[in-house]
Amino acid sequence: MRWLRGVLPPVIVGLAAILAWQVTVTAGRIAPFILPAPSAIWRELVEQRQNVWEAALASGENALIGLIGGAVAGILAAMAASRFTALGEVSLPFAAVLNALPIIALAPILNNMFESTSSIPRRLVAGIIVFFPVFINTLRGLREVNPIHRELMHTYAASGWTFAAKVRLPGSLPYVFTGLRQASSLAVIAAVVAEYFGGLQTGLGSRITSAASFTAYPRAWAFVVGACLLGLTFYLSTLLLERLAMPYKTRLIS
Amino acid sequence: MTSSAVVVDKVTKVFNQGRADEVTALSEVALTVGEGEFVSLIGPSGCGKSTLLRLIADLIPPTTGTVTVAGQDAGTARKKQAYGIAFQQAGLFEWRTVLRNVELPLELRGLSRGERKTRAEEMLALVGLADFAGHYPAQLSGGMQQRVAIARALAVQPPLLLMDEPFGALDEMTRERLQSELLAICAKTGTSTVFVTHSISEAVFLSDRVVVMSARPGRITAAIEVDLPARDDTARQSEKYFEYVTSVRQALRGVPAAAPS
Repeated sequence: MRWLRGVLPPVIVGLAAILAWQVTVTAGRIAPFILPAPSAIWRELVEQRQNVWEAALASGENALIGLIGGAVAGILAAMAASRFTALGEVSLPFAAVLNALPIIALAPILNNMFESTSSIPRRLVAGIIVFFPVFINTLRGLREVNPIHRELMHTYAASGWTFAAKVRLPGSLPYVFTGLRQASSLAVIAAVVAEYFGGLQTGLGSRITSAASFTAYPRAWAFVVGACLLGLTFYLSTLLLERLAMPYKTRLIS
Repeated sequence: MTSSAVVVDKVTKVFNQGRADEVTALSEVALTVGEGEFVSLIGPSGCGKSTLLRLIADLIPPTTGTVTVAGQDAGTARKKQAYGIAFQQAGLFEWRTVLRNVELPLELRGLSRGERKTRAEEMLALVGLADFAGHYPAQLSGGMQQRVAIARALAVQPPLLLMDEPFGALDEMTRERLQSELLAICAKTGTSTVFVTHSISEAVFLSDRVVVMSARPGRITAAIEVDLPARDDTARQSEKYFEYVTSVRQALRGVPAAAPS
């Protein structure tokens, strides 16, 4: 019952919004190239479901590989930066520059670096985008140690390594997952958008561009819906992983 | 009492030495805690009572003077886990269950999994939390968390227990219950205790000796032996108890201490 009360309001609002959209488009006679009706998008989605599914798998694979690679790199870099203070100070501006870089703009350049049939450029773009939030959040988590925990471990005569393994790393987990949550959606966005710049025509991004260039707008939108669902899947999977990794957290998002 | 649990000999502690914000936290402090003795340190904020406790714990080094714990210098004693410590905040590790929190000092001592579990369960039973072994700290009340922290401090069965206002953040009811529990545990285990507090009644109720300190520079101004026939709820109402409370209060105000006859 309580579960229902939590789920019902957003569902009702969502349905109302779609209904309003439908009414506006049909009653206002809005041209489909400006905004197609939800019913038209839905028809396309059902018709193209096999294509959407396959394209989502292709984009999803790139996003997942980028996410894992970028996250592993970000966590390792943060561990190194927190272990060696000097490295931490040097690395932060670098990370900030990396973050300020319009990484999507790198996609065409990366595309030229590799063969046109290669998926590596997209995975790289996703990985680079993932790196920053994971690195920054993990570093903050590793640096913030409860002073009492520090003193306690000192009274236990714990070595630096023991301290890292038993206090620093587990204590940083909530921060790592804050980073991963941001990164999971970003990875999908990056993988999809990176496809706009040519290369393999298998993913959601390339399907959206090709549908749009054929003026098949409802179809383009159907693939956008697919991208949205893919992003949601990534986000929810991260939440689930967080739940499994931190059973002691009473609330999921705090 | 052939040997002493703690000997603090002419210890001076100066923070930020040689800088503009130099502070003499402790000046020429001498303190001896006998084996099995319960000593409270009481005084106004800034009198260095916590500093003294941290010196005994070897969390900070003295500027001059020596600290001996269980017959060894404080650093060696710390490395041998010759004491257990509890702070005002329970400081539990939120990602570990209650049982695993109590197991932590034992893990660092290299005890086997089975031994750790048995010992930790014993300690939890001692503080009355045997049923909560599988809970996470966030699921416990403040008083229960503090009891876990005490169980953790006692897990290695140290000859000395150091406590820095451990009940300071608790409500009066919980505090009195924990005081009685602590006394029972100390009596059972024979642990010597150094207890920092700013509550006069707490100091008198718990201690064999109340050490009164004053600030700027921190030093010991009086030591009042407390000899109550019993330490229970009736003792809290007894005339003798209030006499001790009065003499500690007077000592804190700088009136020369006159122990009740």
